[in-house]
Amino acid sequence: MIAVALSESERVRRRLRDARVGIVGLGGLGSNVAWMLVRAGVGALVLADHDVVDASNLDRQFYFLDQIGLPKTEALASNLRRIRPDVQLDLHRVRVSRENLPHLFAGCDVVVEAVDAASEKAAVIEGCCDALPETPLVAASGIAGAGSANSIVTRRLGEKVWLCGDAETPADGHALVASRVAAAAAHQAHMVVRILLGDPEP
Amino acid sequence: MRVELALFASLRRYLPEGETGHERTIDLPDGTTVGQVIAMLGLPDEPRVVFVNGRHAPDDHVLRDGDRLAVFPPVAGG
Repeated sequence: MIAVALSESERVRRRLRDARVGIVGLGGLGSNVAWMLVRAGVGALVLADHDVVDASNLDRQFYFLDQIGLPKTEALASNLRRIRPDVQLDLHRVRVSRENLPHLFAGCDVVVEAVDAASEKAAVIEGCCDALPETPLVAASGIAGAGSANSIVTRRLGEKVWLCGDAETPADGHALVASRVAAAAAHQAHMVVRILLGDPEP
Repeated sequence: MRVELALFASLRRYLPEGETGHERTIDLPDGTTVGQVIAMLGLPDEPRVVFVNGRHAPDDHVLRDGDRLAVFPPVAGG
């Protein structure tokens, strides 16, 4: 038998195909992170959100007019399968809490925090750090407003925690603009890819 | 004991006087907890995440000499 060294692109393809990524919250961040990871070739996603698609979501989230009223989990799954029918999706129509987080996301290679309220972000970050301390977590904070897209950055906050955003601009009092929200989502998705490929530097 | 303190984003203004940047070295009595430092700094009662040496730590965590205490306040938007 002849051993064949894997090409770099084949190594990347296989690593992403074999990966399982959890996304907490399927709004402007989570729904966009999901399609980016599917297009990048991530094989399996665990998606959790309790909400339904609202008309006001269409200005920045990956849903369509005819999906208003559908659970976000269901609508997103259908959109992602139109990109790649073989993507494995584990759907949970629940509000993620400290209590159910370990059960939902155990077995994920990386978890993405993409919820809205500041208190919920703190709870998801702490819950993930406490219950799944060895699982890398990519969180976001400071994605609102029409400030420079260049102030959206990825920082390493803790040993297993990364943070994308400008860290400062809250959604209360600032508009959520599709382009800036998508920039933050792209930072999150790309950090996930880098972590999966073994490079933890932002 | 001496502890490295890092306050991020809007919490930066609660740092003790000193040079610019978001980090300071502070002197604390032995046995000081995370919660006591937060009270001493007068941090607002808003959502925050605390890390000691890169790992999440609760308010009753007892600090040790050389620890790095970092406090980050998430803001809304998802």
